[in-house]
Amino acid sequence: MADSLDFDSLVVRYYEPLYQFAFSLTRDEADACDLVQQAFCIWANKGHQLRDASKVKTWLFTTLHREFLVVRRKQTNFPHIDLEYAAEELPVVPPPSVNRLDTAQMLVALARLDEIYHAPVALFYLQDCSYNEIAAILDVPLGTVKSRLARGLARLHQLLTGTKREPPNQINL
Amino acid sequence: MNHDEAKNILLLYRHGTADADDPQIAGALALAQRDPELARWLEEHCARQFVLREKFRQIAAPAGLREQIISEHAAQKKMVFWRQKITLATVPALMLLTTLILFWFLRHGHDDTLAIYQNRMAGVALRGYAMDLTTDNPEQIHAYLAQNHAPADFVLPAALKQIALAGCAVESWQGARVSMICFRTGRPLAPGGQGDLWLFVVDRASVRGSPAGSSPQFSKVNRLITATWTQGDKLYLLGTEGDEQTIKQYL
Repeated sequence: MADSLDFDSLVVRYYEPLYQFAFSLTRDEADACDLVQQAFCIWANKGHQLRDASKVKTWLFTTLHREFLVVRRKQTNFPHIDLEYAAEELPVVPPPSVNRLDTAQMLVALARLDEIYHAPVALFYLQDCSYNEIAAILDVPLGTVKSRLARGLARLHQLLTGTKREPPNQINL
Repeated sequence: MNHDEAKNILLLYRHGTADADDPQIAGALALAQRDPELARWLEEHCARQFVLREKFRQIAAPAGLREQIISEHAAQKKMVFWRQKITLATVPALMLLTTLILFWFLRHGHDDTLAIYQNRMAGVALRGYAMDLTTDNPEQIHAYLAQNHAPADFVLPAALKQIALAGCAVESWQGARVSMICFRTGRPLAPGGQGDLWLFVVDRASVRGSPAGSSPQFSKVNRLITATWTQGDKLYLLGTEGDEQTIKQYL
């Protein structure tokens, strides 16, 4: 079924949201481009194995995220800075000035999130992805996605505004 | 559901999406419509979410990325196409090459057979051999060779009949027996030598590329000068040290 999908049409349709997701993960244009290209390259070679054409989007996002994790694992010199120590370096944005945030500042804050919150929050804001799709992309249960989103969004809010919003212990939507 | 629970639920709410279809979110939204404070919080929350969403959406893919992905895919497809074509073309080419090599080997291998025979026999004469029978009696030599199923009905050239016999031995060539008759010309022998002129006789059918006629063909093989000819169903190879003139005197 997936065979019938035209490669060019898929690229036109998904390259931008994929790039936005990749860039939010890497914050580097070249790395993000590589990830997007790699995802489409894998699709070109293995996409015919996908039987359900309606899952192409999830498949592409999942593939991109996996590739990101592979690359990340290979980066042995990737410095991990604990949030507690980095908090002082973060820009504190009071609530009225959220509007004046630029994308770079927001991505810096996003990058400061613990890794498990990073991808769900990025996918959440990309909006093209439903909770079920986020769960499928990250290969975690729906409940876990919601829990991570609740904590990740609260932490992001804290980082951006300097005000602390206690995340709920359990979200049961 | 109370005020705080509704806030926690609405934290994950994205305005303008299918999130509102979720029963719990729908319940929390309904509560917000009745609760002015929650409604105000939701409005601020949605405004903030909208801003953040827009920031994500402002991440623009570099110009040309889409074209690059499409063109690279096309190039890759073309490469795969040509790789398959080359593979398809290579198989028959390799088969043809193998056939040619085999053909060449078979043809030239046959031509070389006489040369290999000459080399083998010259090697026997030069590198030492054990005489099976030491005698100067031609009758005994004929009898011994016949008894050992080696060619015994050979005919010696007239000049060679005048040369003293030293003995004989039976050699083998690709399963066929070869009669080796040793002569002593009277020249000084090499230390340990028992003869200095050797005649090898074998069925001509066992040596491919045997000369067609009875006229001797001369060739140098190692240190030996050899004369090769056929007569009847036999191939004769006479060898000695020297030159063509040397060997001609025995023919």
